[in-house]
Amino acid sequence: MTKEERLKKRHSAEKRFRFYGLASIFLALLFVLILVHNIFSKGSSAFMKTAINVEVFFDQELLEIKNGASDDEILEADFFDITIESLIKVYPAKNVEEEDALIELFTTDAEIEIKRAFLENNNLIGKKINLEITASDDIDQLHKGNYPRDIPEDRRRISDFQLVIYDNLVENQKIVKNFNNYFFKNGDSRDPELAGIGGALIGSFYSIIICLLLAFPVAVLASIYLEEFAPKNKITDFIEININNLAAVPSIVYGLLALQILLATIQLPRSTPLVAGITLALMTLPRIIIPCRASLKAVPPSIREGALAVGASKFQSVFHHVVPLALPGTLSGTIIGLAQALGETAPLILIGMVAFVVDIPSTPIDPSSSLPVQVYLWSESAERGFVEKTSATIMMLLSFLIVMNFLAVYLRQKFEKRWN
Amino acid sequence: MNEIKIKSKNLNVYYGEKQALFDVNLDLNEKEVTALIGPSGCGKSTFIRCINRMNDVIDICKVSGNIEIDGVEINDKNLDVVSLRERVGMVFQKPNPFPKSIYDNISYGPKIHGKGETKSELDEIVENSLKKAALWEEVKDRLDEPGTGLSGGQQQRLCIARAISVNPEVILMDEPCSALDPIATAKIEELIDELKKTYTIVIVTHSMAQAVRVSQKTGFFHLGKLIEVGKTEKIFKNPDNKMTQDYITGRFG
Amino acid sequence: MNFVLIFLITIFSLSLFFYGRSKTKSISVEKNIKLNALPKFYGYYLVLWCSIPSLVFLLIWTLFEPVIIKSIIIETAANQGAIFNDKNEANLIYEKIKAIYAGTYFGDIDTILKESALSYAKFINLFTNSKIVLIFGIVIASVIYSLKKIKNNNKARDDVEVILKGLLFASSLIAILTTLGIIFSLLFESIKFFSVINIFDYLFGTNWSPQRAFVRDASAITAEEYEELKDAFGFIPLIAGTSFIAFIAMLVAVPVGLFSGIYMAEYASLKVRRISKPIIEILAGIPTVVYGFFAALTVGPFFRQIGENLGLTVSSESALAAGLIMGIMIIPYVSSLSDDVINSVPQSLRDGSYAVGATKSETIKKVVIPAALPGIIGSVLLAVSRAIGETMIVVMAAGLAANLTINPLESTTTITTQIVMILVGDQEFDSPKTQSAFALGLTLFIATLVLNYIAQRAVKKYREKYD
Ligand SMILES: Nc1ncnc2c1ncn2[C@@H]1O[C@H](COP(=O)(O)OP(=O)(O)O)[C@@H](O)[C@H]1O
Ligand SMILES: [Mg+2]
Repeated sequence: MTKEERLKKRHSAEKRFRFYGLASIFLALLFVLILVHNIFSKGSSAFMKTAINVEVFFDQELLEIKNGASDDEILEADFFDITIESLIKVYPAKNVEEEDALIELFTTDAEIEIKRAFLENNNLIGKKINLEITASDDIDQLHKGNYPRDIPEDRRRISDFQLVIYDNLVENQKIVKNFNNYFFKNGDSRDPELAGIGGALIGSFYSIIICLLLAFPVAVLASIYLEEFAPKNKITDFIEININNLAAVPSIVYGLLALQILLATIQLPRSTPLVAGITLALMTLPRIIIPCRASLKAVPPSIREGALAVGASKFQSVFHHVVPLALPGTLSGTIIGLAQALGETAPLILIGMVAFVVDIPSTPIDPSSSLPVQVYLWSESAERGFVEKTSATIMMLLSFLIVMNFLAVYLRQKFEKRWN
Repeated sequence: MNEIKIKSKNLNVYYGEKQALFDVNLDLNEKEVTALIGPSGCGKSTFIRCINRMNDVIDICKVSGNIEIDGVEINDKNLDVVSLRERVGMVFQKPNPFPKSIYDNISYGPKIHGKGETKSELDEIVENSLKKAALWEEVKDRLDEPGTGLSGGQQQRLCIARAISVNPEVILMDEPCSALDPIATAKIEELIDELKKTYTIVIVTHSMAQAVRVSQKTGFFHLGKLIEVGKTEKIFKNPDNKMTQDYITGRFG
Repeated sequence: MNFVLIFLITIFSLSLFFYGRSKTKSISVEKNIKLNALPKFYGYYLVLWCSIPSLVFLLIWTLFEPVIIKSIIIETAANQGAIFNDKNEANLIYEKIKAIYAGTYFGDIDTILKESALSYAKFINLFTNSKIVLIFGIVIASVIYSLKKIKNNNKARDDVEVILKGLLFASSLIAILTTLGIIFSLLFESIKFFSVINIFDYLFGTNWSPQRAFVRDASAITAEEYEELKDAFGFIPLIAGTSFIAFIAMLVAVPVGLFSGIYMAEYASLKVRRISKPIIEILAGIPTVVYGFFAALTVGPFFRQIGENLGLTVSSESALAAGLIMGIMIIPYVSSLSDDVINSVPQSLRDGSYAVGATKSETIKKVVIPAALPGIIGSVLLAVSRAIGETMIVVMAAGLAANLTINPLESTTTITTQIVMILVGDQEFDSPKTQSAFALGLTLFIATLVLNYIAQRAVKKYREKYD
């Protein structure tokens, strides 16, 4: 090999090496894009729901209440018959089977929706009004184009007859798309068209607030102790090693801890945000302490000396000067820790947050779900409608995380002092 | 000759295993400027940090021997260092204003010591301190601005004002001009001359010229020992010790 | 009740603050003495003494009251002739008793229930009253003590600071308590487990199927029963599956992460670095349940489709899909740490290599990476420990059956998956199956601890070399 050839080879090796590096970074970026695109394309349709325009006749005989009935009377009244009557009129049905097929086009909550309309305006007896009744999950998915109609009928959840009705309804412009308020308002449900993340949102909110209230003060105080006051001795070393190890313990182990101590020993109520919050706090604590200490450490010693020299006590020098200066870094570390806690799933599964909870929790000691656990639960469900719901839940979760991370970066860049 | 304000007797300081001061016996006179000179690492900072017990902050630092201020031992375990530091202020090598407003920088000390209960009292302290530090005219219109925004020389005068604000008896200065340009240095020296009417001042300096200009008494340290101390004129004209002679003529250091 | 107590303590503490402050002020004026601290510190001093002991007491009491009452009530119910075969039945009766007390019980009330509910009411009263009395006692005692102290013009600031410092120290002890809690809760159940299953049978058994493990009476297991039991709790398939998936993950994460790290440390301009580093770190910020969803719903079926086209049978829950996605999740752990490590290799080493005419990549390969190797190995080990502790991806995408296989297209299971599977939903207490989850947890805990220890040692050694 001549010298030139050799040199050429070395230079092309250089280029190849460089290319591998660049390619790796692009691979990672590409994956972020694919993931986000995948989730968004699956999930964005969940924010709309399909409804069918139905003419409802409030027949006094069937309803057995009068105009101006009180709310209690309305709630007691049986709207089942007029619901059925209204739904089967959407398309001429020849027999009972066809009527059932018609009713199946609608959500199981159709009666409740009609009742709700009546509650808003209790003078409708004897009148006909047009209501947009939420469609069943199958129609919803079909209308959104998530459901293939060209497979054989026996492998489809929608019969040929229902497809005919659907096409007819579309032709007559009876099918509409509305904002899916159920998705934000409702708790969990077996019916995808009714299932919502309302309960999970509240559950996550309570859990994170409890986590914040417990972890933040303890982490700040512990960091201050370790960084400013702790004597260099065995105990301090031991605490430090402990904290570093705790930060690396898999989250599921915290679930086992919670199961044994919080649920079995102190008998806190299962499946609740309270237990979730405490568990997440224990898990987040070391993850907050580490950035807290780093930002305390970043405050130059000259500030401490300046305060001491005018006669501040050690405490005063720390709490009047060092802590305020370290606060932006501390807060941003805390927010990042909370963001991790918000996405944490495994320990919450162990403390029973996978329970099927329909009701929206009103206090932190009500059984509840949380956003990531809801993702897990729905992803195990077979119905197609849950795929878009799951993806949409992930979209919500990711948006919260993005907001939190931006806040953390903003706090640091805006308020953190840089020392030179 | 003024009265003796601070008296150190057989002062020994150790950083862990390493001894930094050896049997230092040094008297400092009231309302006078004492300069401490010597090559770096010889223990000047260590010595003045003993006077307001700043060395307490360093875990490995152990002090033995005596330091008396007005005849009262300050190395006493029961002595409250906070009130000691109220009496003995300090200015550091690098200006270290708090990253707060100019006003807050000065009012901090009086506040924690319970001097200046009302806003107007505090205002007065701030104004007086800044005036004494010859900074008032330059900053009186921007007391709300951060102290870290001032120039280096102004920052150092702010730190002097901060030290003065609690009305100390002694001011320790550890190479206060080493981070400043000649003009700012001149201003500080002028200021020191003025301050010595009220305060006992100890200044560590690297510049022999500065020692001559500002001090009445000079101590020369070498390798942790006080080699020679005396009137500034004498130390610089005809020192008794050969090492002092070598140092001031620039043969080592 | 507790809120009322907390409220009263707070109000009382606050009023003591003002009392303490003005009192010391007036004393100092009257008797013309110099106070040892600013008046407000005497106020703080009183506040701390008044609130901390009583609040700590209240907290402890509140934590343990329900547990104690419960055990007392269950015992009295048993004395009155209530029969319960296991913990769940006892719990049920206790819930009934509580409901009767609260007036929300609508079933039949027999004499046993009635008597128990009465004694429940009695105990609740007794406990509440003693709590109130004790708290007042504590408050009064501590206030008297602290008032006496401030009368003597103590150094209130120093004392306040000592108390606060104690508080700071206590906060940092929570980390130790958490570790102890983890160790205790894992050991507690694991010891029970290992008293039934021989630890060597567990460690070296080749069959894992806890759903088959039935025990009629844990205290008297026959020899045949044991043979069957030990066959249900063999750890080998789990460690094999876990390592296998972690291995696939590292096959993805190490090259991609390492090359990204090298590129960012050595080649990237400041601008590229500033943008690409956070974007890569997004990968670590995405919740793992999202990866799990993606792996299970998109990647798994995608691989199966490809497999079908190639004529291969690919399980839709394959080790490959789970490992691949896990690898992607771990990329930033490798890239960030190795970026740091490479950055701290001293420039002089590189200069030496350039000076003999080496190209940049030769310098990196021959000089920088060998120098940074311990640190890089440390970061890879940390990533491995992440991988074996990772739960959601494998729960959702790897499968449940414990197959001993090295075919990446088949499904395998992992330690974490099994913990979740065993503990999700209702658990039977005191069954080897439930306990086995804790034994797995303990194994996992020890494994990650050891890996982290080695990794941290490696990184630290490396840092010391160049700092
Ligand atoms: N915090 C410290 N820890 C250990 N040794 C120190 C510390 N501060 C100073 N020393 C040592 O004490 C000796 C005196 O230092 P110093 O008083 O700062 O000297 P000077 O101010 O005269 O330059 C030096 O040898 C220095 O290394
Ligand atoms: Mg010095």
